[in-house]
Amino acid sequence: MTKHYEPPKQGWFGQIFDSLFVLALVYLSLMLPLLFKAKEAASAAAGAAAEAVKPTWESLQLSPVVQEQWEKLGYDAEKAAALINTKFDYTIDPVWLVITAVVLIGYFVFMLKVSDKEYRQVIAEKFGK
Amino acid sequence: MDLWDVLSQAAWVVSAALLIWIVKDAISVSQQYDEEFLMSSREGDE
Amino acid sequence: MSTTTGDSKQRISMLKVLNPFHIWALGVGIVLVGEFMGWNFSVAKGGAYGSLIACWVIGLLYTCVAMIDSEVTSTVAAAGGQYTQAKHIIGPLMAFNVGLYLVMAYTMLEAADALVVGDLMKSGAEALGHAGLDTKPFVVLTIAFLAWLNYRGVFTTLTLNFVITFVAFIAILVLFLAVEPANPGAVLKHKELLTDLPYGWIGVVASLQFGMWYYLGIEGTCQAAEEVRSAGRAIPLGTMGGMMTLLVAASLTWYICAGLMPWQYLGQAVTPLYDAGTLVGSTKLQLLLFVATAFAAIASANGCINDASRAWFSLGRDRYMPVFFGAIHPKYRTPYRSIIFLVPIAVSFAFTGLLDQVITFSILSGLLGYTFMSINIVKFRKMWPLGSIHRGYIHPFHPLPAITLLILCSATYFATFLGYGTSLLSILAFYIVASIWFSVRRYKFVKRADQFTMPWPRPKGY
Repeated sequence: MTKHYEPPKQGWFGQIFDSLFVLALVYLSLMLPLLFKAKEAASAAAGAAAEAVKPTWESLQLSPVVQEQWEKLGYDAEKAAALINTKFDYTIDPVWLVITAVVLIGYFVFMLKVSDKEYRQVIAEKFGK
Repeated sequence: MDLWDVLSQAAWVVSAALLIWIVKDAISVSQQYDEEFLMSSREGDE
Repeated sequence: MSTTTGDSKQRISMLKVLNPFHIWALGVGIVLVGEFMGWNFSVAKGGAYGSLIACWVIGLLYTCVAMIDSEVTSTVAAAGGQYTQAKHIIGPLMAFNVGLYLVMAYTMLEAADALVVGDLMKSGAEALGHAGLDTKPFVVLTIAFLAWLNYRGVFTTLTLNFVITFVAFIAILVLFLAVEPANPGAVLKHKELLTDLPYGWIGVVASLQFGMWYYLGIEGTCQAAEEVRSAGRAIPLGTMGGMMTLLVAASLTWYICAGLMPWQYLGQAVTPLYDAGTLVGSTKLQLLLFVATAFAAIASANGCINDASRAWFSLGRDRYMPVFFGAIHPKYRTPYRSIIFLVPIAVSFAFTGLLDQVITFSILSGLLGYTFMSINIVKFRKMWPLGSIHRGYIHPFHPLPAITLLILCSATYFATFLGYGTSLLSILAFYIVASIWFSVRRYKFVKRADQFTMPWPRPKGY
């Protein structure tokens, strides 16, 4: 039989501190991407200013039925063009792809390894050696 | 002040009332019962 | 059933009052709002056909999730759901992470739901001639009211959820009949509106990310395991029934919306089904979809409070998080402190104004949880082979569903990388820092053997 582990009791202050700590972490990770987004938005705005030709329904070359649905939704050519011309950029940066993959896989490997170590202690205490 | 302003005010008041009720109830439970009893549930108990 | 000796004192527990309909209402209730808003962002990422393919591929992912989850949950029936599974099968750190996935996914989704109710009130007020309504009081009221309801007992909470989820589902059927599906071209203009894949096949992969919205949260049904009358029967039944409801609702929603709106509009619409109702041009229909959208959002927030608070409660009960949260209300038998604690958090998420960040966080937390499930089931079958313990349900074709699930999860991570790469990294950073913090600081407060509560034999290989 392995030694029984008796955990310390946590006081009020520690309990409150720990709850707040997790919260602070969440907010931080919500805010973090904003820093990058601000940069992207600035460069996108610069690009949009370059092509400032006023669009018309004709220049958008939509079929009459499609144009009718846009109008039913309350859109004029200019507003519709803004949506039609917004596009995702799917060029893949291989460096970032590799970094992301390594972080993701590393996270799972780390978690499984540590969990396994802790799990063996649990089993040893529960069922004996 | 039209109907919607009244509704907004009412929404604040009702939210506050509900939340105050919950917190008051939680405090009174803590005072009435033993902390150990409140924590005594066990996982998977039938 | 407890193995601890010497404590014959009276114990408190949650009430076992729920039936399969409640489970259906909990699962579908959380998810159905996804048909009223959110799924359509996948249209922006890959076009209308891309979104449909995503709907089916992610449907396959969730079928695997439902199969695997039904087997494990029918065996490990405890509040906390996947968290408790992780604790028994993989280990404490994994369990801590899974618990956090659950709390984050549901609390963030709850915040997004409350925002939808607020926005809907705003557009309703606008339609009636009051521009610029402040949405905040309605967001707070939604969360406060549902928290109050959850606090007062699970039976009323989920009975209400059953009613409003049912109404929202019927509204989709009514809308489908109203657009004259038998008479294409009259109302629905699929022929003119459907385009080729705007970004090619890479766009289809990219749209998998928001394809998750069609079903996200259905696995939350197993949080109710300590409150159903018969967990082994009700949870698989309610979950599978819910999955079928969602497949029908998702297909109908796609069909209606793709036939009414140009994909560029659809891809950024806030309330696509409500817009569809408006386009048909009947005030009654518009009103019905207004109510249904609100109901769907409320049902979802309601289910989220239920699930997030159970997960947080379980973390507290095992001291993974402060033990204070492990309390149960002596009269209403709900994890009342967890419910209270999560109220200001949900409100603050809603007020950050970072809706897309919050949604991405929610989706990714869900996705990390599904990745865990595929590893979990493989270990589960190895450590306790069939026949060594009683399983309420055994899913077929193992390990095919687990492998399929892992591959589809990887594809969805890649989809998130396309367009939301920084969010992905920052969310991973959160879970990594939290894991280190747990190992270094929190785990010392946890009782070792007490974590293992199932009446099972020693696992093979340990």
